Amino acid sequence: MNVEFVFLDWLWVGLFLLLMIGSGVLFYRLGKRSEADFFLAGRGLPWWLPASSVYATHTATDTPMWITGVIYKNGMAGIWYTFFCGWAAISAFVSTRIFRRSLAYTQAEWNVVRFSGLGSELLRGWMAGWQFFMNMFVLGWVGIAMGKVCAFLFGWPIWIGLVVFSLICAIYVLAAGYWGVVMADFQQGIIAFLVIIIVSAWGIHVAGGPTGILAKLAELGELDRINPFAFTGWWSGDFPIAWFITMLMIAILGGFGMGTTIDWYVEAQRIQSARTVRDASYSIWWGTLLGLIRNSVWAVAILAFFVMFPGITEVSEYEMGWFRLGFDYLPAGMLGFFFAAILAIHLSTISSHLNLGALYATRDLYQHYWNPKASEEKLVLVGRVSTAILLLGSFFYGLMMEDLTSWLIFALWIMAAGIWLPNILQVIWWRFNAWGYLSSWIANLGFSWLVVWILPAVGLIPELQDYQQFWILMVLGALVYLPVTFLTRPEPMDHLVHYYVMSRPIGWWKPVRYEAERLGYILPSGKVAPEAELASRP
Amino acid sequence: MIRRVWTAREADEWTKEDWIAIVLSPLCYILLTLGAALTIFLQMSGYIMLGIGIVLTVILHWVIDPKLRAISADYETRQQSYLRELEAKVRWQDTDSKQP
Repeated sequence: MNVEFVFLDWLWVGLFLLLMIGSGVLFYRLGKRSEADFFLAGRGLPWWLPASSVYATHTATDTPMWITGVIYKNGMAGIWYTFFCGWAAISAFVSTRIFRRSLAYTQAEWNVVRFSGLGSELLRGWMAGWQFFMNMFVLGWVGIAMGKVCAFLFGWPIWIGLVVFSLICAIYVLAAGYWGVVMADFQQGIIAFLVIIIVSAWGIHVAGGPTGILAKLAELGELDRINPFAFTGWWSGDFPIAWFITMLMIAILGGFGMGTTIDWYVEAQRIQSARTVRDASYSIWWGTLLGLIRNSVWAVAILAFFVMFPGITEVSEYEMGWFRLGFDYLPAGMLGFFFAAILAIHLSTISSHLNLGALYATRDLYQHYWNPKASEEKLVLVGRVSTAILLLGSFFYGLMMEDLTSWLIFALWIMAAGIWLPNILQVIWWRFNAWGYLSSWIANLGFSWLVVWILPAVGLIPELQDYQQFWILMVLGALVYLPVTFLTRPEPMDHLVHYYVMSRPIGWWKPVRYEAERLGYILPSGKVAPEAELASRP
Repeated sequence: MIRRVWTAREADEWTKEDWIAIVLSPLCYILLTLGAALTIFLQMSGYIMLGIGIVLTVILHWVIDPKLRAISADYETRQQSYLRELEAKVRWQDTDSKQP
């Protein structure tokens, strides 16, 4: 389809871009003050700012395509695919609280707060490098989605949508760092949420309203599509209950850990930018809830699209369903507003990942391993250079994405499966050490290749569904990291006591707790001893 | 039954109020997500789920908010010294890790 824009449409787009770049210029002075400002906005944000950033960041250009895909295919039951972000439900009151008290800039840095010695440094280096790579990948992934949207709408070559809007976004990220990201995210979050409601409501209205949609679903014999529990049996079909239970467990219990989903690494930055533990908790809880409500609205709009265009079999065609509701049915003059909202969705994700990837490169790689005595000015400069490198790298990734997609989905899967439980154990079990955690990553890398690709390819095991792979990888991984943990020494007790008093983790920490009490840092009833408080004060 | 006044020392412990939040929070997410969608479809089940979801959300915050306030106020007093230690660690400077 080729969309015709009138003057008013381009005016909307121009005004929006000026607003975003303006916010970067406005916060330039704050962003350049220090590393903590460039990457965490000085750790002083009220909860609603990082919450809007959580929401805006996780509303990317490919999100409506992906959600349209699962809802169009599975009906309302497809909404469970979007429930992986449910980890925030428990995390907001458990791991978010613990992580905020560690004060680590990144999850990589958290490793040296929780663990000690060579193992912790290996973990920090590995995780920082991996996250730099992952952020570049996500930038390429989201960027190419924008390229496709622009090609679909205007017939532009794909590289234009990829390059032009990421470059515009980079202006305010380079200028103001996380200050620019979070202030722009706030505006983008509001614009995106409003437009999602307007376009979805418009689509539902065009399809005949809620009762009209239900009547058409009944005519089509598809009324079951509004049932969120329409599974295909316990074990069989595309949508078995076994998958649902596995997903719910991964999502909800994952909240006890850190890094149990890829989103954690983005949220970790928002958690540390909140001004208090309470602000951190609420930012994660409310930001995620807003995303879930957005998914609900989208789901209904996509069912509206379904009743208007049933029977589309081509995935790439029905994935564009929500965009079509906007561009096919909104009146002239509103199309530009809709496109500006798509840009808001796009820029919020790009800006977050540019700044986050640069954080890992600057704090964990450059500062810790290369130039520990770097001045604040130098660190901000390195942050900007890293941002530029990420941007350029993302263009190459984006253009190669067609070839790389299956490899990189596999890489994402690696992050989720075999290390899911270790990511929880590191939070809740004092005895789990750096070597156990490191071995779980290495083991998972090998086992996931075997279980997902190699063994099915040579016919030794059948092709497994993803939830089956998850359980197998979890068990195989445990066969490695549990012996490694018990065969290596626990972390030094003084290090664990220090971590415990600072972070107050949940779970099995009794020996550490007793030691902290014996040393007088915590009273038996739980109070940090006044002398310990005084000793740790300036 | 539900404690709403906390000292810092009590709030630092994991108590039943935390576990109530841990149980209620996922329920709120599920009920609000499904309730919102089914309410747009004007389904009675949607109204009920959304209503219960909103009530549970209010209860969740009523239970956990006083505790989070107490934890935050206490932790703020110690944050600066922990931040100094973190900076020393990233710069490979010695810290007396025996002194929390």
